[in-house]
Amino acid sequence: MFWHIYKYRLKCFIRDKENIFWTFLFPLILATLFNMALSNISSAESFKEIKIAIVENKKYEDYSDFNNAITAAALGNDGSNSKKLFNISYVSKEEGEKLLENNKIEGYIYFDEKINLVVKESGIYESIIKSFLDDFQQSRSTIVNIITINQNSMSQNLIESVSTRENFIKKFSLGKGEPNIVVQFFYALIGMTCLYGGLWGIKEVDALQANQSPQGARLNTTPTHKLKMFMSSVVAATTVQLIGLFLLLAYLNLVLKISFGDATVYVLVTSVISTITGITYGTCIGSLISKGVGLKIGIFIGATMLMSFLSGMMNYKVKYVIHNKVPILAYLNPANLITDSFYSLYYYDSYYKFYLNIGLLGVFILVFGSVTYFVIRRQKYASL
Amino acid sequence: MVIKVKNLVKRYDELVALDHFNLEVREGEIFGLLGPNGSGKTTAINCILSLLKYDKGTIEIYDKPMTPDAYDIKRKIGVIMQNVAVFDELNVYENIDYFCGMYVEDKRQRKQFVEEAIEFVGLEDYKKFYPKKLSGGLLRRLNIACGIAHKPQLIILDEPTVAVDPQSRNRILEGILKLNKQGATIVYTSHYMEEVEQICTRIAIMDKGKIIAIGSKEELKSMINSGEKITVEAFNLDNNILEGTKKLKNIMQVEYKDNLLILKSSRGKDNLVAVLEYLKANNVTIGKVYSEPPTLNDVFLEITGKELRD
Repeated sequence: MFWHIYKYRLKCFIRDKENIFWTFLFPLILATLFNMALSNISSAESFKEIKIAIVENKKYEDYSDFNNAITAAALGNDGSNSKKLFNISYVSKEEGEKLLENNKIEGYIYFDEKINLVVKESGIYESIIKSFLDDFQQSRSTIVNIITINQNSMSQNLIESVSTRENFIKKFSLGKGEPNIVVQFFYALIGMTCLYGGLWGIKEVDALQANQSPQGARLNTTPTHKLKMFMSSVVAATTVQLIGLFLLLAYLNLVLKISFGDATVYVLVTSVISTITGITYGTCIGSLISKGVGLKIGIFIGATMLMSFLSGMMNYKVKYVIHNKVPILAYLNPANLITDSFYSLYYYDSYYKFYLNIGLLGVFILVFGSVTYFVIRRQKYASL
Repeated sequence: MVIKVKNLVKRYDELVALDHFNLEVREGEIFGLLGPNGSGKTTAINCILSLLKYDKGTIEIYDKPMTPDAYDIKRKIGVIMQNVAVFDELNVYENIDYFCGMYVEDKRQRKQFVEEAIEFVGLEDYKKFYPKKLSGGLLRRLNIACGIAHKPQLIILDEPTVAVDPQSRNRILEGILKLNKQGATIVYTSHYMEEVEQICTRIAIMDKGKIIAIGSKEELKSMINSGEKITVEAFNLDNNILEGTKKLKNIMQVEYKDNLLILKSSRGKDNLVAVLEYLKANNVTIGKVYSEPPTLNDVFLEITGKELRD
């Protein structure tokens, strides 16, 4: 009996084109749009070497120390050429002017009595070049002053100690992954997709209740226990929703290259738990609201979008504002718990946060499932 | 006794939908529940099926109290709801198989039952059709097949012919007679008196949540004072002759319009003969003559003072 109901509910779900669009295609479309919009954020964060030109004239030859300094900067911190700050070309002043005019370089440096920088506009790259020149001139002036006061102090150590910049702050990742705001958008999208499984839940409850649909009325006259019908329907809904979710995960991971860390089993567990949360959330709404299915779906989608917004799907800063100002809301939002579960798998070494989120989702499943059952188990209706 | 309902009361706030409703349905009969829309037929059926809560009364089916978890009783019942209750995503075969599977677990037996049900309602050519592709009549037939495929002993049909074309209606009515011949007890609700007269062995007439009359159609008609309705095509009829017809024995009501003389009589013998003899004696030219026995509408009209179709 269980499998008989399961088989036919599965057929009903797969042939329901409207729900298939919302749970299968809509997340894929949204993921593609996210990828197109968010790829600029990644590229904005990456640093490219700054193209500059140095005008080679007689005065430049007097600045041999500048030549050493800028060559060192061009080679990068480790001298490997892999993290170069500058890409330098040596030109005449006319050539420099022309390169700048054609946007081939960010600026050019020429020497007369002092060091001059010519740029076309102000921006981050121009500021970096200027900072470098200011720093060089300040160091150079310091050394000249010291030597002027005490010629005996001139030594290699002095030059090194003045020119060396020691960085006392080191950036390192708290977990195993690189902090990445982009993945959070996609994890929030997964959260939304899981909750969209609730559309199946609404449909299920509708088909089971005599006061909601003629099919429900007919099913209530059959000698089959309500719990059995409910369970087979939920398992069928979970199957369809999981297929949709795995499609989305595969698309994100294989096509859009979004990482989920390397704990595949945990990703699967999260997917199943999140999907069941979404479906029971739908059954709960479907059972509590006895009006038309249109109203149920409207309330359901509105609530889901709000939860997704609060979990950072539209703006990642919202998530942190909630976390700092109203942390309890973060724990009462299934969309946020799903998002955090995926993020903790990607980012943290420890599974503490993951288990906490999964545990809370489990509590939601229990609450949603129990509410649904206590409403739909009602054996007789006041009106049909 | 297949169904026994005693003193059933069902209220929707101030409205009393069933007012001390009593009913007994015997094994093997086709029992008709006739009444205008809103008389409480569907409410009564939903209470009997344990779908609706009720305020008072008892319901027994096959001599056992009917409750939502009386699965042994439910197994014997087939229900055809007023609204078509099938899934749009399943085709004809799948819909019947799905609902039949709620009663019959054995796959081979179920397959046979489903095929027989399809043949019974004449949907052999539409097995792979989805409900949205079926006409209203075919959809009603599918609805019936879903309710009878598991071969129930008691079949409850709630207005199964609403919005159905005459061809499908005849097929449905013939099918009900056939199911009854095969041994099923039938409860049939309708507001179409012709259908009820045509197939039911016993009829209960409902109004305002109560059964106002019960019996075979002959018994019901014998309960009232109305007799036959006589229609005579009469030419050159003047007022004096018309007044004279009103004084004839057993004549209750006379109407004359467009050369048609319509007379309603009370029960009694030779009413038609008396009318014709009177007209002939007064040299009235007579054309066609009809005589119709009283209908269930007359029964309803005489008991409640209103038309069944209101």
